[in-house]
Amino acid sequence: MGRWLTLGIFALALAWALPAFAGESYKLQVGGLSCPFCAYGIEKKLSSLEGVVAVDVDLASGAVLVTMKDHASLDEATATRAVQAAGFTLKRFEPADDAASGG
Amino acid sequence: MTLHPSGAGRDGARLVALFVAIAALSLLPEPRSARAAPQTFNSALPVADGEFVLRGQFFHRKASSDPSPADRKVEVLGGIAVLGYGVTHDFAVFGVLPYLDKKLGMRTPGGTRTTRGTSGIGDMRFFARYTALQRDAPGRTFRIAPFAGVETPTGEDDERDNRGRLPPALQLGSGSWDPFAGVVLTYQSLDFEIDTSASYQFNTEANDFDFGDEARFDASLQLRLWPRTLGPGVPGFLYAVFEGNLVHRGKNDASGVRDRSSGGTTLFLAPGLQFVTRRWVLEAIVQLPAFQNLHGTALEDDLTVRAGFRVNF
Repeated sequence: MGRWLTLGIFALALAWALPAFAGESYKLQVGGLSCPFCAYGIEKKLSSLEGVVAVDVDLASGAVLVTMKDHASLDEATATRAVQAAGFTLKRFEPADDAASGG
Repeated sequence: MTLHPSGAGRDGARLVALFVAIAALSLLPEPRSARAAPQTFNSALPVADGEFVLRGQFFHRKASSDPSPADRKVEVLGGIAVLGYGVTHDFAVFGVLPYLDKKLGMRTPGGTRTTRGTSGIGDMRFFARYTALQRDAPGRTFRIAPFAGVETPTGEDDERDNRGRLPPALQLGSGSWDPFAGVVLTYQSLDFEIDTSASYQFNTEANDFDFGDEARFDASLQLRLWPRTLGPGVPGFLYAVFEGNLVHRGKNDASGVRDRSSGGTTLFLAPGLQFVTRRWVLEAIVQLPAFQNLHGTALEDDLTVRAGFRVNF
């Protein structure tokens, strides 16, 4: 029982702490993304890029948040190619921190 | 990767259950015929580069309004599998494999009722679609995509029963290579989608028989019913669907003689439902003939019920 409790606490702590190890995040404004079925293509193409650990699509705003591994980065040309391969158009690309601060 | 508020998720599950129930009901028996399986009206929306989309559809078609004393009743129960592949971001290829179960019931000159029929793989269709125009903005897109392909003679075209060779319309395939081409326009926003398509199929001769060419104009409006207000992430969408199909078929030609009781024009109106998520789509629709101007004693459609799914993988 005690061992399971310890393992459970460890798992929770790990899940809570993992984002702290994530690297840069980028906010992509994608044109043409207007139904859930289409969103999957974007997720798949961006997720396949090296260093990407998470892709979060927000249909309502057309924004896609790409989170990278620690020390990994994403450049605009690579993001443009991935979005185009999914059949859409990259309208804006910016580091997520800049996007959050309006920069 | 997708966020779902728990309440919305529960409502979504209930809506899916309701939709599945409606789709299951729509598959309950009933029928019609003609020649090859009716093809799905495509959209101009993308298939991602290097990715596959699978679509399956079951249908039940019935025609029984026969003005002749033969009192013909035709029904077709079938399934269509469509596999799409994105060769590039703007060029996709599709293969369509139909499975058909056709039956024709009629009164013989002696007054007894008889049924003839067959089942198996129908004529496969292959086509390519190129996105010639694409205008994207946040939350909406407009695309124009011409397409072209060919219906291949993969279906059996010499089926026989104890009364001899089945009539051409009852065969699983035409035996001919039939090219077709058209163009599809799609405007999609987060709230609704409009698709229109115009196409023409040139039917060629096989077994001394030539089905009349087919011209069609299709239109579809999809309105998002749920969620009423978009939340974060990628929620599932429930659409109300309204479709119209204007189909004109030329007269058939048998051994160089025009069949005066074949071909004509039909307008179908079709209400339906569609539930769309990131990975899959469930859909069901009922096509009802709103207008039919057929030649001679050509059989009129009663209705066609379709239910299907699509999967991203």
